[in-house]
Amino acid sequence: MEKQVTLKIDGREVTVREGSNLVDACAAAGIKVPTLCLLPEVAANASCGVCVVEVAGARSLARACVQKAAEGMVVSTSSERAASARRTAVELMLANHPDDCLSCTRNGTCELQALAELMGVRRRRFPRTRKLREAADRIDATSAMLERDEDKCVLCGRCVAVCRDVQTVSAIDFVGRGSHSRVAPFMDRGIESSVCVGCGQCTLVCPTGALTEKDETEKVFSLLRDPLRTVVVQTAPAIRASLGEALGMPTGALVTGKMVAALRRLGFDRVFDTQFTADLTIMEEGSELLERIAEKGTLPLITSCSPAWIGFIETFYPSLLPHLSSCKSPQQMFGAVAKTWWAKKAGIDPATLSVISIMPCTAKKRETKRPGMASSGFADVDYALTTRELARMIRRAGIDFARLEEEAFDDPLGASTGAATIFGTTGGVMEAALRTAYEIALGKSLPSLELEAVRGMAGVKEATIDFGGTPIRVAVAHGLGNARKVLDGMAAGNSPYAFVEVMSCPGGCIGGGGQPLLTDAADRKTRQEAVYKEDRLLPLRKSHENPAVATLYKEFLIKPLGERSKELLHTEYAARKV
Amino acid sequence: MTRITNDRELAALRLSAQSLLVPRTPVIAVGLGTCGMGSGAQELYDAIAEKIDGTGVRLKKTGCFGFCAEEPFISIYRPGKSILLIGSANKKDAAAFIRAAQTDAAADKLSAKAFARIDEWDFISSRVRFGEGYPSVPLWDETPFFKGQKKIVLRDAGLIDPENIEEYIAAGGYAALQKTVTGMQGAQVIAEILASGLRGRGGAGFPTGKKWELMRKQESAEKWVICNADEGDPGAYMNRNEIESDPHMLIEGMAIGAYAMGAQAGFVYVRAEYPLAVARLSLAIDQARERGLLGKGIFGTDFSFDLSIVQGAGAFVCGEETALIASAEGRAGRASPRPPFPAQSGYRGMPTTINNVETWANVPWILARGAAAFIAAGTERGAGTKVFSLVGKARNTGLVELPLGTRLDGIVYGMGGGAGPNKRVRAVQTGGPSGGCVPASKLDVNVDYESLAAIGAIMGSGGMVVMDGDTCMVDVARYFTSFTAAESCGKCAPCREGLAQMLRILETVTKGTATEADLDELEALAVSIKDSALCGLGQTAANPVLTTLRYFRDEYLAHIREKRCEAGVCEDLFPALCVNSCPMHLNIPGYLQLLKEEKIEEAYELTLRGNPLPGTLGRICHFHCQMRCRRETIDEPVSQGEIHRYLADAVHKMGRQKAVWARLASEKLPPTGKKIAIVGAGPAGLAASYFLARLGHEVTVYDSHAKAGGVLRYGIPAYRLPRETLDNELGLFTKLGVRFVLSTRIGTDLSFDALRSSHDAALIAVGAEADKPLGIPGEFLPGVFPGYAYLEAFNEKKVKPPSGRVLVIGGGNVAIDAARSILRSGAAVTVAYRRTREDLPANEAEIKGAEEEGVAFVFMAAPEEILADSSGNARAVRFVRMKAGSIDATGRPSPVPSGQHFEIACEAVVSAVGERVDSSSLGKAGPGVAELAADRNGNIRIDRFDCRTSIEGVWAAGDAVSGPATAAEAMGRAIRAAFAMDRALMGADRSIALVKNFAYANVASADPVGGRKHRSRRLAVDDRRNNFHEIAAGYSGEQALAEAERCLRCDVK
Repeated sequence: MEKQVTLKIDGREVTVREGSNLVDACAAAGIKVPTLCLLPEVAANASCGVCVVEVAGARSLARACVQKAAEGMVVSTSSERAASARRTAVELMLANHPDDCLSCTRNGTCELQALAELMGVRRRRFPRTRKLREAADRIDATSAMLERDEDKCVLCGRCVAVCRDVQTVSAIDFVGRGSHSRVAPFMDRGIESSVCVGCGQCTLVCPTGALTEKDETEKVFSLLRDPLRTVVVQTAPAIRASLGEALGMPTGALVTGKMVAALRRLGFDRVFDTQFTADLTIMEEGSELLERIAEKGTLPLITSCSPAWIGFIETFYPSLLPHLSSCKSPQQMFGAVAKTWWAKKAGIDPATLSVISIMPCTAKKRETKRPGMASSGFADVDYALTTRELARMIRRAGIDFARLEEEAFDDPLGASTGAATIFGTTGGVMEAALRTAYEIALGKSLPSLELEAVRGMAGVKEATIDFGGTPIRVAVAHGLGNARKVLDGMAAGNSPYAFVEVMSCPGGCIGGGGQPLLTDAADRKTRQEAVYKEDRLLPLRKSHENPAVATLYKEFLIKPLGERSKELLHTEYAARKV
Repeated sequence: MTRITNDRELAALRLSAQSLLVPRTPVIAVGLGTCGMGSGAQELYDAIAEKIDGTGVRLKKTGCFGFCAEEPFISIYRPGKSILLIGSANKKDAAAFIRAAQTDAAADKLSAKAFARIDEWDFISSRVRFGEGYPSVPLWDETPFFKGQKKIVLRDAGLIDPENIEEYIAAGGYAALQKTVTGMQGAQVIAEILASGLRGRGGAGFPTGKKWELMRKQESAEKWVICNADEGDPGAYMNRNEIESDPHMLIEGMAIGAYAMGAQAGFVYVRAEYPLAVARLSLAIDQARERGLLGKGIFGTDFSFDLSIVQGAGAFVCGEETALIASAEGRAGRASPRPPFPAQSGYRGMPTTINNVETWANVPWILARGAAAFIAAGTERGAGTKVFSLVGKARNTGLVELPLGTRLDGIVYGMGGGAGPNKRVRAVQTGGPSGGCVPASKLDVNVDYESLAAIGAIMGSGGMVVMDGDTCMVDVARYFTSFTAAESCGKCAPCREGLAQMLRILETVTKGTATEADLDELEALAVSIKDSALCGLGQTAANPVLTTLRYFRDEYLAHIREKRCEAGVCEDLFPALCVNSCPMHLNIPGYLQLLKEEKIEEAYELTLRGNPLPGTLGRICHFHCQMRCRRETIDEPVSQGEIHRYLADAVHKMGRQKAVWARLASEKLPPTGKKIAIVGAGPAGLAASYFLARLGHEVTVYDSHAKAGGVLRYGIPAYRLPRETLDNELGLFTKLGVRFVLSTRIGTDLSFDALRSSHDAALIAVGAEADKPLGIPGEFLPGVFPGYAYLEAFNEKKVKPPSGRVLVIGGGNVAIDAARSILRSGAAVTVAYRRTREDLPANEAEIKGAEEEGVAFVFMAAPEEILADSSGNARAVRFVRMKAGSIDATGRPSPVPSGQHFEIACEAVVSAVGERVDSSSLGKAGPGVAELAADRNGNIRIDRFDCRTSIEGVWAAGDAVSGPATAAEAMGRAIRAAFAMDRALMGADRSIALVKNFAYANVASADPVGGRKHRSRRLAVDDRRNNFHEIAAGYSGEQALAEAERCLRCDVK
């Protein structure tokens, strides 16, 4: 058993594991010490000073986030000294923060706002010491994915920590000293010109409105209001497990039917499912894998559904690009199919057809604008909205989400299998691909459809599947820091894998940068469970069993990796210079 | 160079290098530290080098001996003789220096200019004898600056060539390293350091041995030792000099530490702004490596250690160890939370020990001499010495190395020599921007970690900035806060945002826009930041604010309530320095300009509105205005006072004075119906009555004398101030309706209670007219007269002028006035003073006048007894001869008895050793008076800002409050009291109602005209020494105009 220490917090004795910090120890004593810069999954930054508590005998106040509990320690969380320093820290951060809460994206979800309320701040105690700049000067809108409002930044460092320590991208860092400190991309050239891959993890952890996704809800609303336009929507697998949460329901609530109903109420002409093209992706990618194995092509093959991941390898490991699957992501495949096969079937001129996607992802916004993503002659996808943006649209439209009757996706692009559902979590694409590839290669089903080895939250997961006597080694990485580990192995020339799945965000899409704010490890786990549950409950759990996909091949694509597939569903990659 | 692989080789080299240290040929050594070079040492070196060929004299470079004020500093050595130290050496004397090195005769001649001599020197492990001679030159450690210093860290500085490893070895260098690595276990080394009690010299004072022990215990194949040479405090440069003067001691210290802790590599983190230190250290590392003292297998053992240099970009926060490590790793210098401590996970995640330059520098000494020798210096909790850079307003600036526990006043007044003549030390800032301001009243503190912390300051890395009266403490806090706010790494909110807010508030204080609530906010913020900042920078950054608030709160309040910066620093608060320095804040540039524009009457009116007695004050003032006049930076201050007098005299002569008075009288505010009593018709009482009458009050001035004027009439001799001038100007008061009740002593003729009950308010302005006793036997003999009382009687012609020999004891204005007055009656006068001529507190012009007229002076003489003749009359005074002691809080050497005695015979003695307030004139025992609070000296206590006494409805001003001061100061305080009384009576600030704006040009000339100041005509000695005619005639019209032209108009912004 781990060593325990007993300490006294606000007069109450509490025993905790040795090495616990005081935030956890206080929590054990039933007291929630407020924090701001603390991000439990990253090393404590200890910058904000919001969590200070008084430790008897110490010269100055202690930061509960880094101070370890010690035997016999006497802690006061609510002494005048500690409370006043905590409030002062918040008031100091408010001093130079813009007073535009009412028009801020984060109105109501802002942690600084919440802290101000928690501390009982009722007036502006300190005037500004830095001039508030004009929006044009302080907002970096260069990126198609993210927006950064520097004056709203309170320099907690969470974005920097996530970008550097979790994603190993380091697109932003602190610059300047003293009160001139800022968080900025390299040489202040704007996010778009930085190494930023758009994963959006920073927007997930930003406590204020300093880092947000590029909001495109108004554009979509205006498309929906256009009577001459057919607007269809696709929803990514991970949305159904997180949209409810963004609208106030419990974490991991599966809201597939309500989501469809809500989208219809918003005015979308058809509500389709990206899971349809997830199944299609498996057909293409599985075939690609088998082909590469058979023809001794470049291995391992690496998945290509996660656009921030594509940005990452294009930026940092361009020499490894031949490993990438040439498959477009399900989002883009969907657009390509919708604006060709389906448009023709439905008798709609693709020029008047708009495809909107709802994604757990901020990088999807840039993906829609990549070269080669207009197979029909029109952009495959017009706008990609995040889970958060959709939630905003639903609220704005006055839709009482929780009370909606469940509805079903439209045909034919609404049909999908359990294999597509698990695309939403790390390991899902791998599992789905193996379910199909195995069966295609060996003509029989996998002994167990649920591959435990690629499930769970380990950063890099490995499995070996016996393909009729041929062991196939595969790996799954989620979070770009973990991807980097796998890539470094490959670059060193000693990768044992045939197939690798990489998802940019921790946990995969259920932890995507477009997901509900403050997604943490527990949230990701709950959402993951929801996704697996949905898979278990579905009648069809293998992509090749999707009847609509079969129809698509029969009527239009002919076969995976066929000529039309290559034209519509595959793409190319190039080194990215920044 | 050959490698040194064992003790024998080291000893052999040490022996052969002895000739470098104690050469057989003459040597001239030039101190070539950065400070020396800044004072021209390189040019001096070059000038000597040019002439030295063929002279047989060797020229060598050394580091700095520490006495910055005397740079460039050279030493001249002739074999067998003492080393002569020459300060402020001029390159023009290059040839003379060489000659002095060549012959004994020339050396003896030059010795007259020598600052000190060195006979022998204590190097790291042995005492080296240079020689003897020059008995008239003091030994170096007997000079005030070096007396009491103990050189451990600076053991070689200024004596060895820092660019030659052999000189370091000759001085015993690297022997400690050899002894350590060949004969001691790491644990033994640490035990020795622990036993020595050495504490971190970077400021925090953590026990070095403990730190090393923590690191030693870490299991790791890779460990680092780092030297923090990121010295960044404004005014601190100890570390720079330590490296520049003796880089090998640092290398040796680090190598010993590395051996003890099991580190294989280290680096010195030094700021790039120290190019000379970097160059010398880099050279030293190369030399040590070539000699095998760094690198693999040191002294033939398996101990390997190498050292490199990391140049920092000069961020103050990089002195904080976690930020330093980040910076060295190539990241931004930002602090990280601890734990983990660097000893656990430091540079590149490896166990790391960081000590500062001075800490490392102590290490070889401790190993060479043993812990016991180290403990012998310093205190129980602070062993050894500490180097300070003594800078700022001290007379002697430089690096001083002192045993810990030395008293701060000893450093400031002893080594530093105080703030210089006529300046008082106000405070000493220790520890740089994270330190605190120690006020003059607390300078008896011992300089050690705990004692300084107890009064809110810190030892820091050793900055010691002396501040005098020209330093505004609010501005000091603002300056240091602006420094730390800019140098904050910006990571943690309390420091980043909090310091910016503190700076904002401090700026509002210096601009005069702050409120007292802002001050509370400032203090709350300071406390909060100290408590919650992440690293040492933030936790200490509030210290300057906290200490100045603690010790100089009144100064903050003066900025806020009165918009006054007495030190004359916060320029937003005053139009020009002369206006700020003038106790009455007269609009001096205004009247000078009006005069320039030949609007004499307006110029006079402008002065009169601020000062009812311009003709009087213009004659007798100390002219505070001139003391801070900017013209002085060009040649001499403008004679604002002389012009002041000229205006009064000129308008009087023109017959326009009464017209101006009438204008003032007509502008009197409507009667308020309030009755005000003023006790005392001296300068303070008169000034207050003038403003109160103009404000519409019914003012009555009471005085025990028969006539108004107080000290102006009864203290000041007529040759300085003709009585007609005073009488004329007193006419203004009557014109304004001020009522005088004379020959009436409050407390005797009219009770204080009666006075209070018959008036709405009273102002006590009784002055300080009671003579202080001498306190020696014979003081009450017939023929001994107290000075002021005597002067008063004399001026009133109530005493018979003495004849024969008169001895005046004292050196103030009363003494000089008495001496000159008595002289005019035909007596022979001698003034005896216990200090020097320079220390005489009287006005310089009066002293000069006395000297010209034939008053004799005896200095450094303290009276011990007044001796009587057989008939019981005073016949002589016995004195003890004084000699100069250490500098005291007044900035002057305190006189101490020498033991020699002498007598001066005389027929009369006047004792004029100062005056004090005699509030018994109010009837001490009388009802109501007993509650009048006074301080130890009898000065009446008032609220500094509203001038109220402890009695309701009673205010006080003038010398009665401050003790003896100048007339202008008394009037300034009285004017402030007058407006305070008006505010209290009327419930509003009405001062603005008395202001009249005058139109004049506001243009500052880019090209200042006029030379030195103009001097008015004065009576020749023969024409004045037998009479009381006014000596100074005052300016002519041309002179006044030309003098006014000299004003730079620094009020024009």
